[in-house]
Amino acid sequence: MRGLATLALAFTVVAAACGGAAPGGGTDSSALAPAKDVAPAATITWWHAMSGVNGDALNKIVTGFNGSQSKIKVEAIFQGNYDDLLAKLNTAIASNAAPALVQVYDIGQRYMYDSQQVVPMQAFIDRDKFNTSDFEPSVINYYKYQDKLQSMPFNASTPMLYFNKDAFKEVGLDATKPPVTFTEIADAAKKLTKKDASGQTVRYGFGPSIYGWLFEQLLATSGQLYADNGNGRDNRATKVVYSNAAGKAILDWWKAGVDGGYFYNPGIDNDGAANAFNAQKTAMYIESTARLRGHITTIAGKWELGTGLYPRPDSKPKEGGNIIGGASLYIMKSRPPAEQQAAWEFVKYAMTAAVQGQWQSDTGYYPIVKAAYDTAPSKDWSTKYPQFLTAINEIRDSPQNRFTNGAVLGVMPQARQRTQKMIESVLLGQATSQAALDAAATDMNAAIDKYNKANP
Amino acid sequence: MKALSTFAKYALLLIGSIIVAFPLLVALSYSLMSESEIATFPPPVLPAQPTLDNYAAVFSTIPIVRYLINSFVVSSAVVAGQLVTASLAAYAFSFLVFRGRQVLFFLFLSTLMIPWEATIIPNYMTIRTIGWLDTYQGLAVPFMATAFGTFLLRQGFMQIPRELWDAARIDGASTFRFLISTVIPLSRPALATVAIYGFLSTYNQYFWPLLITNQTLMRTTQVGIAQLRFEETLRWGLVMAGVIMVAVPTLALLVLGQRQLIRGLTAGAVKG
Amino acid sequence: MGWSSRDLRSLGVGLAYLAPSLLLFAAFVFIPLAQTFYLSFFNTRATGAITTFAGLDHYIELLTSQAFRTGLQATAIFALYTVPVGIALGLVLAVLLNQRLRGINVFRTMMSSTIAISAAVGALIWLLLFNPSLGLLDYMLSRVGVNGPDWLIQPTTAIIAVSITTIWLTLGTNIIVLLSGLQGVPEEIYEAARLDGARGLRMFTRITIPMVSPSLFFLLVVDTVAVLQAFTQIHVMTRGGPVDATRVLVYSIYQDAFQNFQFGFASAQAVILFLLVMGLTIIQFRFVERRVHYQ
Repeated sequence: MRGLATLALAFTVVAAACGGAAPGGGTDSSALAPAKDVAPAATITWWHAMSGVNGDALNKIVTGFNGSQSKIKVEAIFQGNYDDLLAKLNTAIASNAAPALVQVYDIGQRYMYDSQQVVPMQAFIDRDKFNTSDFEPSVINYYKYQDKLQSMPFNASTPMLYFNKDAFKEVGLDATKPPVTFTEIADAAKKLTKKDASGQTVRYGFGPSIYGWLFEQLLATSGQLYADNGNGRDNRATKVVYSNAAGKAILDWWKAGVDGGYFYNPGIDNDGAANAFNAQKTAMYIESTARLRGHITTIAGKWELGTGLYPRPDSKPKEGGNIIGGASLYIMKSRPPAEQQAAWEFVKYAMTAAVQGQWQSDTGYYPIVKAAYDTAPSKDWSTKYPQFLTAINEIRDSPQNRFTNGAVLGVMPQARQRTQKMIESVLLGQATSQAALDAAATDMNAAIDKYNKANP
Repeated sequence: MKALSTFAKYALLLIGSIIVAFPLLVALSYSLMSESEIATFPPPVLPAQPTLDNYAAVFSTIPIVRYLINSFVVSSAVVAGQLVTASLAAYAFSFLVFRGRQVLFFLFLSTLMIPWEATIIPNYMTIRTIGWLDTYQGLAVPFMATAFGTFLLRQGFMQIPRELWDAARIDGASTFRFLISTVIPLSRPALATVAIYGFLSTYNQYFWPLLITNQTLMRTTQVGIAQLRFEETLRWGLVMAGVIMVAVPTLALLVLGQRQLIRGLTAGAVKG
Repeated sequence: MGWSSRDLRSLGVGLAYLAPSLLLFAAFVFIPLAQTFYLSFFNTRATGAITTFAGLDHYIELLTSQAFRTGLQATAIFALYTVPVGIALGLVLAVLLNQRLRGINVFRTMMSSTIAISAAVGALIWLLLFNPSLGLLDYMLSRVGVNGPDWLIQPTTAIIAVSITTIWLTLGTNIIVLLSGLQGVPEEIYEAARLDGARGLRMFTRITIPMVSPSLFFLLVVDTVAVLQAFTQIHVMTRGGPVDATRVLVYSIYQDAFQNFQFGFASAQAVILFLLVMGLTIIQFRFVERRVHYQ
């Protein structure tokens, strides 16, 4: 009885405490990092969202680090998928229980910044004059805000074109030259589409899932911004800007393919899209480079898998390219300096070429440091999966500008949901491309406005 | 004629069972297939070459035994707590007469209607404040009161003939005594239902255990299943193997619980 | 209407029996709810910290928004698709299972097995079954010459698919509750009815249904409440789509609270959903419980 009364009381206290103002302070001063002579803490906790094979690979890094020195012990804890982890982190922040190091997905970037709970990675880099010149520019640029690195990229991927070489040969397409432009894809898809005697389609040419990330990437390869103020990187974004001719061209292309019966629509189910491709129900589709390994295992040599560059408009805009996706590591401000110091030590270890090369070969993510490509595990991997070279080239050839840096929005998860709904409404014939773009932009602009007001 | 009708009954039962259990049978079948077999068209129904690889992979990926033990401990504790709190409350709502009873009953029911999103964050903070993160009590105590169970037992208790109550009063039995000696023994099916439901709904929780545990040692089965779902590539066979391993103990419990369900009143206990 | 000392004494006895539950509810349900209610009048930062007083802004925004109306509509459709069918199906199967036959336990276990499956896992299996290219469902339909729909792509079929999954997930509970209700019906009542010449359907409607009406009523209330809170299957299968067809209220609360981190706005929705379900339950007790036959 008394326990419960105490509990209720304790609760009220906490409720009152968390109702208070958020801890203030800017985040862009390198003075924020602890002094260089602060001794690192003996143990720190790292929250991550890597399950299965990727989780094993991650634990391998942690074990390697813990064995490489005797001062710091990192404890890695799986906290569900990216969404679960962020929800848990948000809860933990409110009651001061966040860990020293967290892995947060790409689109949580602005949220992390606005939470004012992060020691920017740049603070440590500047303090230690840590050399990042060998880092993959496209990867590192994604995690910069106002040219300061907020977090350390950890697992990086981009989308690319996957295609079925056997199907290409069967219909007389050149399997060494996969289609790149919208028109080329549509033409190839028409050829690849196969119907049975009863008129049922047994194979579609192309089958992308309705995934907001793919739309963002199509805008980037079109050389277009997603949001204003340099995709929200020069200053906080105030509106989305995709409701234009380029946005319309993407939707029109997609819609024509589905209506014409040569694009397959698996809905929002990314796994379903991958399954359809594995089962040869589709001959081409677009997805993350991180799926490559899974496809090769599942296809198991039954047919030949090809990879190609991500689709882009017929004009192949020079300023267009791909945006990096995945997740990055944040050092949390609420932990004592000693823990931040320890977290930084671990981050530095994780960024060494040897660790990165092993990470790449274990998971299929890009190495963050280029020197990793020269390590044995990485070389073996590229020999084993030559299809990955496409991915490397794709990211190397992408020009570095605001289009390809990608958008940072506090409401990015919501924006992604909204573009999915937009694509659905076009494919289902509920709205024209232009009307759907306008409706999505109106909703998102209101949401951005609301967010900016709530997070001054 | 009799044989025919028995045969028809069995046929109906069999067809119904197969339809209802079909998704589960599919899960079982897929758990025995290799990844590349699952990804073929037309979709395979039975594995061509059954393999236990997926089960082996579950063991090597997550500490499944530990998760099962944790889930059992927590779920059992919740069931024990719920049976006590719900019996007491349902008794008050069915046999005792007092002013404000209806209001209090609705207050109970209202707890079912609160979206989980509204309570989960404050509850996390409470558990953290009293230092119950990463503990069995943190996983179990918040669920030890149940409006569902109370309501279910109330419906059961209201089926008990009032004459028994009147007779007990005349005999001078105390209110509490009547609950223990008459109401509880007569309500075995309802109690078993509450127990099964309480056990399984706790066993199947995901977000709460994820939220309040940070140690692998304290994690539960559904978090384990989530660990088998890869962010980039879903391996159906592996996930389904995990699902089957987690479901088998609960199905066993269901079999045991059903015996309780049947034993309750068929013994002819109620003959006022 | 004063309280006599006898009233107070009987209330005291009642409260003593209710105390363990009430204390737990207070700590883990009512106090959090109060906080949610409080939060619904404020704007919050992404971290949940309160920034400015919003008054009734969130409520006004909700009640005037098209999205909220769509959500309400989706919620109503979803409930209408699942609750009656789920209970009816549960009753039919429970009657079928309420027989003394050799090996009946095997069938009972199989049919109630869905209770042992978590919503997350159940939804995952159904996602696979509904897959238009690989799913067994459309494949089996195609074998009998039916062109299966793109279940999760079309708004009309997506809500049906989610409803089927939900009915399946609740079927186990429904069967067990009704079976335990049926077990409680004394054999003599059936015998007496049989002597009066009742058979088959007549026996079912005149005897069985009234006798299990407490269980049926229980399921009506509980299943309605549960369906209005159903979240996981939607999260796994449709994420509220296509074009908001399955974006029921509890799902939009999730999105606003845990993906968009607008706690004030999400709290207002939670309060409204709570009031809505509460109102519905009161109606059910007012108008339906009267017809329930307690012994």
